Amino acid sequence: MLIRLAGGRVIDPANKRDGISDLWIRGDRIVAPPQGETPDAVYDVSGKIVMAGAIDVHSHIASAGVNTARLLLPENHSAHVARPEATPLSTAGWSTFETGCRFAAMGFTTVVEPAVPAHLALHSHLELADIPILDKGILTELGDDDYLLSLLRDGASKTAIADYVGTMLAASKGIGLKAVNVGGAVAIQNDVQTFDLDDVVPTYGVTSRQIVEALQQAAIDLGIPHPLHLHMNNLGVPGNIDTALKTIGATQGKRIHLAHVQFYSYGKEGKHGFSSAAAQLAEAINSAPKDVTCDIGQVMFGQTVTVSLDIIRQWNSRPMASPRKTVILDGETNGTGVVPYRYRSDNFYNAIQWACGLELFLLLDDPMRSLFTTDHPNGAPYTTYPDLFALIMSRDARAKWLADLPKEAVELTNLPSMTREYSFSEIATMTRVAPAHLMGLKDRGHLSPGALADIAVYNDDPDRAQMFRFAHLVFKDGDLVVRDGRVTHYRKGRTLTIQPTYDGMIDRRLARYYDDLYGVSRDLFKVPSAEAIGRDYAFEEVACGR
Amino acid sequence: MKAFVEGAAVGLDAAAAAAARLLGKARLPVIAGLGTDVAGARAAIALAERLRGAYDHLASDVLLRDIDVMQQISRMVTTPGDVRLRADCVLFVGPKPRQSWRELLKQLNLASPPRLAAEKKARKILWLGPGRGEAAEVGATKIAAPPGTLPQTIACLRAAVLDRKTRVNGALGRKLADLAAQLKEARFGVIVWPIESFDRLTIEMVNGLAVDLNRERRFSTLPLGRATNAQNAVQTSGWMTGFPIRTGFGRGYPEYDTWRFDANRMVEADEADAALWISAYGAESPKWKRAIPFIALSKPETRFPYAPRVRIDVGTPGLDHDAVEFSREIDTFVATKATKASAAPSVADVIGLIDQNLTKGSSAC
Ligand SMILES: [Zn+2]
Repeated sequence: MLIRLAGGRVIDPANKRDGISDLWIRGDRIVAPPQGETPDAVYDVSGKIVMAGAIDVHSHIASAGVNTARLLLPENHSAHVARPEATPLSTAGWSTFETGCRFAAMGFTTVVEPAVPAHLALHSHLELADIPILDKGILTELGDDDYLLSLLRDGASKTAIADYVGTMLAASKGIGLKAVNVGGAVAIQNDVQTFDLDDVVPTYGVTSRQIVEALQQAAIDLGIPHPLHLHMNNLGVPGNIDTALKTIGATQGKRIHLAHVQFYSYGKEGKHGFSSAAAQLAEAINSAPKDVTCDIGQVMFGQTVTVSLDIIRQWNSRPMASPRKTVILDGETNGTGVVPYRYRSDNFYNAIQWACGLELFLLLDDPMRSLFTTDHPNGAPYTTYPDLFALIMSRDARAKWLADLPKEAVELTNLPSMTREYSFSEIATMTRVAPAHLMGLKDRGHLSPGALADIAVYNDDPDRAQMFRFAHLVFKDGDLVVRDGRVTHYRKGRTLTIQPTYDGMIDRRLARYYDDLYGVSRDLFKVPSAEAIGRDYAFEEVACGR
Repeated sequence: MKAFVEGAAVGLDAAAAAAARLLGKARLPVIAGLGTDVAGARAAIALAERLRGAYDHLASDVLLRDIDVMQQISRMVTTPGDVRLRADCVLFVGPKPRQSWRELLKQLNLASPPRLAAEKKARKILWLGPGRGEAAEVGATKIAAPPGTLPQTIACLRAAVLDRKTRVNGALGRKLADLAAQLKEARFGVIVWPIESFDRLTIEMVNGLAVDLNRERRFSTLPLGRATNAQNAVQTSGWMTGFPIRTGFGRGYPEYDTWRFDANRMVEADEADAALWISAYGAESPKWKRAIPFIALSKPETRFPYAPRVRIDVGTPGLDHDAVEFSREIDTFVATKATKASAAPSVADVIGLIDQNLTKGSSAC
C-alpha cells in the first residue's frame, strides 16, 4: 500500500524542516517520493499540520497502582456517556481501551508507563496487552531493594551492580530504569520521616546520592538508551528546590532524566511559606550538561488521583485526599499510595504549582531537554494535554487563566510578564524528537524516509486546544487509525523492551537469594513470553549496548 | 474433555454453537461464577460487552465487602513478603478459617525473626479473638474476644492506642491497654485478618486501627483468605472497564452497580433471561433457584441444582493448561505452567469458540 499525504505543512524539526511538502508512506514506513508510481490512496492535507506521532515518556497508564486507583474511584469514571469536555476526569481515559483510543485521538502513538516495581511487571504487561493502537514500554523501578542496597553496602563492583540491574530489567521486560525517592522507602520503614539526597539509608549505611550514582552508572555500563529516570527526594515539599539543585549538581556530567521537575520547583518564601523557585531550577537545568534532561509534570486544575511509589509523600498527603479516601499499599521495596486529589484554581498552593510548571516550560531554553508531561494522572490527566499545548503556545491563553487565579498567587509569579510562545517546531521537538532520542527509538519522532509511519495530521485551528484534542488523521505503522478525532479501528501495538547483556552468574546468585529470603522461586517474578501474556501481545526489541 | 447439549454428548464445536444461539437471542444475559484465569476473565468480560450483558463473580459477597470499605473509607495493606521479611509484630484478629490459611501462614515464616528488620529478634505475635487452640498453634499471646464483639473490641483498642478513654474497664480494659502499648512498640506491625469472615464494620475497624498506629510507627494489614482467584476477575475488570465486578453493559457502556448486577438477584428477579456460568477452579455451582436456561463451563464433577442447557468441561488453569493467575503468595500475577497438561479446553478457548459462532450468526442477518 502506497499512500501520499498531499500538500500539508510538514513540521519535522529532526530534519530542520517546516514547509509545505508531500509525505509518502509504503507499508509501515515513510519513504522518499517514489518515481513514476501512482499511490493507492491520496489524502489531501493542504492547510493541515503534519508531524510524526507524539511520544509520551511519563504517563502512569498501566500498573497495579493505577488499577487500584480505578477500583478505588468508580465515581471518577462513571460518566461514559455524558463526557463533558470541560471536566477532565470524566474524560480521563480510565480503562486500557480508552487509554489507547484517547491518546491516539490526540496524535500520540507511543506511551511509556514510568513506574513499575520490578516484582509487579507482569501486571503492567497484562494491562499494556489490552491498550490498543499505541506502542508502549515500562520503566522498571529499582533502588530500595535489599539486593541492590546490600551490594552497595558491601562495596560491590560496578560490574556486579550492572549485572543485577541488567537481569532485573530483562526479567521485567522494561525499556529503561526508574528510581523513586531512592532509599526513602527503607528509611520510612525505619521511622525516618524525611529523607534527602545525603541522608543515610538505615541499616545499609549508603546515601540516596550513592544509590542514584550507582544506578546512573549501571544504566550507562549496560548501554541502556534511556538514562536513569529519577524521581528525586522530597517531591512536593516546600523548599525542595534545594534538593533539586543538589541532585543536578550530583549528576557529575553523567546522563540522567529528572522526572516531573515542576514538583521540585518550590521555595519557602511568602506568608504561606510556599513560592515558585522555577526560575532557579530552570537556570540550573539550562546550564547543566546536555545529558541532563527533564520532563515538566504540569499541574492542571480539576479532579485527579495521585498514584505514586513515593510512599512517604503519599502517606503525608492523606489529609488532603479529595474525596477523602486512600489506599496505602505499604509493601515490598516502595509500595504504592493512591490519593485522590482535586487541584483548585482558587487554592493558593495549587495556583503556585500551576504557575511553576508554566514558568519552567517558558524558561527552559532547550525543548530537546525539557519534555512535555503532566505526570498523568498526578499533575493532571493526560486528557488535559490539549489545553496545556494552548497555554504554552499562547500568551493570551495564559492571561485568561491567570485572571481566575488568587491575586496573592499571581503576585508571586513572573508568568504575566513572560512572552514566550512555543512554535510548532518546538512542540514537535519536545513531544516527538526529544522523547524518541531519550528512549533510543531511532525510527520514531521524525519523518525521514525509513522512519516508522507513525504520523499525526492536525487542523491548523487557531484554537490550539481544539487542534490537539482531535487530530484530523493519525497513522500507526502506516495504518489510518484516527479520522477527525475518532478511532476508526483497533490494532495491536507492541511493547518496546531492551535485552541488556550481563554475566549470567547473577541469575544463579539471585535464584539462591530468592529461595532463601522470600521462600519462593525467582521465576515467579519473571515476565513470561508475549503469547503467555495475551493472544496478540508482541514485544519489539530496542537496540541496547555501547 | 466432554461437552453436552440438553444432556446429550456432542462435539465441542456443536456445544459452542448451541451456547452462542442461547446467548445471542437473550435479552439480558449474565455471566456468573467467573472462576477463571486472566485470559478467561478477559474473554468473558469482552463477551459480556458484546452481548450487552452483565458479569459477576461467585465470591462477590466476600470481595465486595472489602472493596466497599476501600471505596467508602480507605485501605491500608501490605504483602505477605513484607510480613515475612520485616514485620516484628503480628496481630491476628478473629478466628481463622482453618484450611485456606495453612499455606500462607507457612509463607509468613513467623517462627523466625524478620530477616530484613533492623533488629533481628523474635517477633511479637498476638491474637485478638482466636478460635480454640489457634493462638497456641502459632505461639501467639491470646486476648479472648468472641467474634461478635470484635468491632467494639477493636474500637476500644483504637481508643487505647490514641490514649483516649474507653468504655471497657476491668480485666478486658487492662488487657486492651496492654495490647495497645505492645502494638505501639512495633517497628513494623501488621494486622492479619480473615477476608472471608469479616463484615464491613470489622474490616473498617481493622483498617482504621492500622491508620491510627501508622501515625507513629509503620503499621499495615494483611487480609488472608481463599478468594485468591477472584482477583483474576476483579483486576482484569478494573483495567478493561475501569470498574470492579458486578458491572453491566446494558446501555452500551460499562456501569458498575453492586445491586443491579448481582447475578443471583438478576436471575431471581426475572431480569436475566440466560446465564453463562464459569467455574474452572472448582466444582462450584450457581446459587440461584429460578430455572433459567444456562450454559456451564465447569468441572465434570459439578452438581448443578438443575441441568444446564449446555455443559462444557473445562480445564483447571495452571493444571490442565498454562495460565496467568493472581498469586496471594507474592500478591501479584504469575504465569503458571500446566502441571498436568491435558486437552481440556480453557475458558478463554471455549469463549473464543462461542464468539466465533456469534460472529457467524450476526453476519447471516
Ligand atoms: Zn510519575
